[in-house]
Formats: sequence, C-alpha cells, structure tokens
Amino acid sequence: MTAFCEMAVAALGTVAFALLFGVPAIYYPYCGLIGGTGWLVYSMLVQGFSEPTAALFATIAVIFLSRICAVRKQCPVTIFLISGIFPLVPGALLYWTAYYIVTDDTALAARTGFLAVKVAVAIVLGIVFVFELPQGFFRFAAKKNKQAIEEKGRKKR
Amino acid sequence: MNERKEEEREVLDAAMLAGHILLENGAEIFRVEETMDRICRHYGIESCSSFVLSNGIFTTAGNKREEIFAKVQHIPVSGTHLDRVAAVNQLSREIEAGSFTPSAVIERLDQIQQMSGKSKKMQILASGVGSACFCYLFGGNIKDAAAAFCSGVLLYWYVIFIASPHLSKLVGNIGGGALVTALCTIFYKLSLGDHLNYMIIGSIMPLIPGVAFTNAIRDIADGDYIAGSVRMMDALLVFFCIAMGVGLVFGLLHRFTGGGFL
Repeated sequence: MTAFCEMAVAALGTVAFALLFGVPAIYYPYCGLIGGTGWLVYSMLVQGFSEPTAALFATIAVIFLSRICAVRKQCPVTIFLISGIFPLVPGALLYWTAYYIVTDDTALAARTGFLAVKVAVAIVLGIVFVFELPQGFFRFAAKKNKQAIEEKGRKKR
Repeated sequence: MNERKEEEREVLDAAMLAGHILLENGAEIFRVEETMDRICRHYGIESCSSFVLSNGIFTTAGNKREEIFAKVQHIPVSGTHLDRVAAVNQLSREIEAGSFTPSAVIERLDQIQQMSGKSKKMQILASGVGSACFCYLFGGNIKDAAAAFCSGVLLYWYVIFIASPHLSKLVGNIGGGALVTALCTIFYKLSLGDHLNYMIIGSIMPLIPGVAFTNAIRDIADGDYIAGSVRMMDALLVFFCIAMGVGLVFGLLHRFTGGGFL
C-alpha cells in the first residue's frame, strides 16, 4: 500500500517537473506513469540490492516505457524521458555529500560522493542499453495504422 | 532559375530555423541534424550538410547544380521548452506527408518560436509541488513536505526573477543552493518541519540539471562526443554549484553556532 502511495507521489512530482520543462499538457499522464513506475521499481529493488543496481533497473524500466510511449504518440522520446528519469537522478546523494564535507566527515563524504557517481553511471548504462534496441522492436506499440508504422520504421528514434 | 535559387535559400533558412528551435529548447544533437537533413531532402536539396554543436549550428550546401549556401548560427542555451520540440517534430512529419511551401514552413516555425510556455505562476507552483513530492519520497513527513513546498515556491521565484535574468549560471546556482538551505533552516528553527535534511533535498530538486545530464548521455551514446561532453560539463558544474551553495550556508551556520547546530 505504501509502495503505491509513494508511486502516486512520485508521479505527481514527475508531472510537476514535466510542467517546468514545458511538456505539452496532453502528455502529463504518461510522464506521471513513467516517473511513478521508475520510482516503484527503484524503491522495491533498493531493499534487496545496492542503490546502483536498483537505479540501473529502474532506468531501464523508465526508458523502455518512454520509448513505447514515444512510438505510440509519435513524438520525441525526450519528452517522456527527461521528466521520467528525474526521480532517479542522485540529487539526494549529492546533498549528503555536501553535508558530510561541511561536517568534516571526510570518509563518509567520499563514500557518498562515490555512491552518487556509481548511481549516475548506472543511469548512463541503463540509457545506453535500452537505446541500443532497434526502433523496429518497439513497433508493436504503434497504433494499428500501416502508414504510421512504415513512417516510424524509416525514422530512427 | 532565379526563382529556384530563391526557393533553395528559403528551404535552407527554414531548416536552419527548425534546427535553431530544436537545439535551443533541449533536443538531442541527433534529432537536430536529422530534422534539418529531412527538410532539405524533402525539397530536393541533396548537398546540404550540417554540423551541430551544443551551442551552435554550421550549415553549408552547394555543388555543381545547387547554389552555395553557408550559415553559422550561435545558439545560447536557454530554458527547456519541450512543447516546441514536439511541435517542430510534428511539423517535420507534416512536411514529409503534405505539401507545405518553404515560406509556409518558415511561418509555422515562427509561430512555434512564439509559443507561450506555461505562465510564471504555474511554473512557480509546479516547483513547489515537485519539491514537496520529492521531500516526501526521500523520507520526509507531511509537515516537511509542506515546508519544502514553501521553499520550492520561493526558490523558483528567485530563479525566474533574479537568477535567470541577472546572474550568471554559476552564481545563480550557488545562490539557489544557499537560498534553499537558508530558508529550510529558518523553517526548521520555526519548527515548521521536522527533518532539515529531507526538506533541503526536496527543495533543491528544481535546480538539478536533469535535462543537461540526460541529453549529455544520449549525445555521447550517439557518438556526438563534443556536444555531449560540453553538456555533461554543464550538468556537473551545476551539480557542483548547488553543493557549494548548500555547503556555504551550512559552513557559516556551523561556524556561528559552534557546531552544535548540525
């Protein structure tokens, strides 16, 4: 139950940031869903695995859904991707690093800073992996409209 | 013959304008290049080639049959308006499908460039809501989220009215981080929130350079190393500045309260 409550909050937060980036209003529900799912995956996995692993799989989920939505709605994947990935960007770890540096806890600061870098690398890997999948793979998501499918096939991403 | 020349020039101008809008509003390099190429091809200009950096576009065209055209445009990075990216994408689709004249394309692009984004009030409110949500997600309670909402609202007011028109990027972000920390400390002292850390984490989220970070990764993955590394540099610098701002205020508090505070 809490997990879904958190997912709803993450979705709301994602929509708020989507608004800041000027995403057209009709795409808000998709952005919210993607952001919420990313957070759900992250918060479930982080209980059993390390943060970078959880971030990796959450990123993969986010990008996968973003690409499906992009094909479905025929619009740039950037729209869903940027707002959807926002909950995963290691802003909190960044804060803790600064906090430990100021409180003179250098060892903890180094560890947290390094963890932030690892999470960032995990996000990078997630993005790179899923974008390696050919566009044709996502064709199943396109509306059943032959012309649109052909057009998508020509247009990469 | 002259008419053809005139039209070619118009097509290239349209492609340049489309690229300009895309690059300015947060599209990837790959998309900018592809859209420009597509517009040129559609109107029968085969010789066009463009080179896109994170803040500039170089375009040339010209061979035995086509007139020589060259243009360089510097495009300072401004805010992100993904609605414009979506609109240009839609337009490029329509160009391929339908029969737009090049001047009609330019007209449409001009309209897209004038598209009004969300109002400032909405943006400020969204920043507050986003801050509150992330404060809650990262471990705060309802009270913390309410405080984060207030500081998120004030932070974006600062971003819109002080930082982006008057301050450089570095100083603006250091100031943003410092402002958030100071505000949250005040709220904490007035016991409007219970966890200082979570309040600050939530409220700095609107400053985090998510767009630059994500686009940098995508550009590097596409092989656009120069643009990608410039954007990555941009993102890292902003991250660093936010941390500096937070650290600055914490450091001062630490000094004045003799370390008892943190």
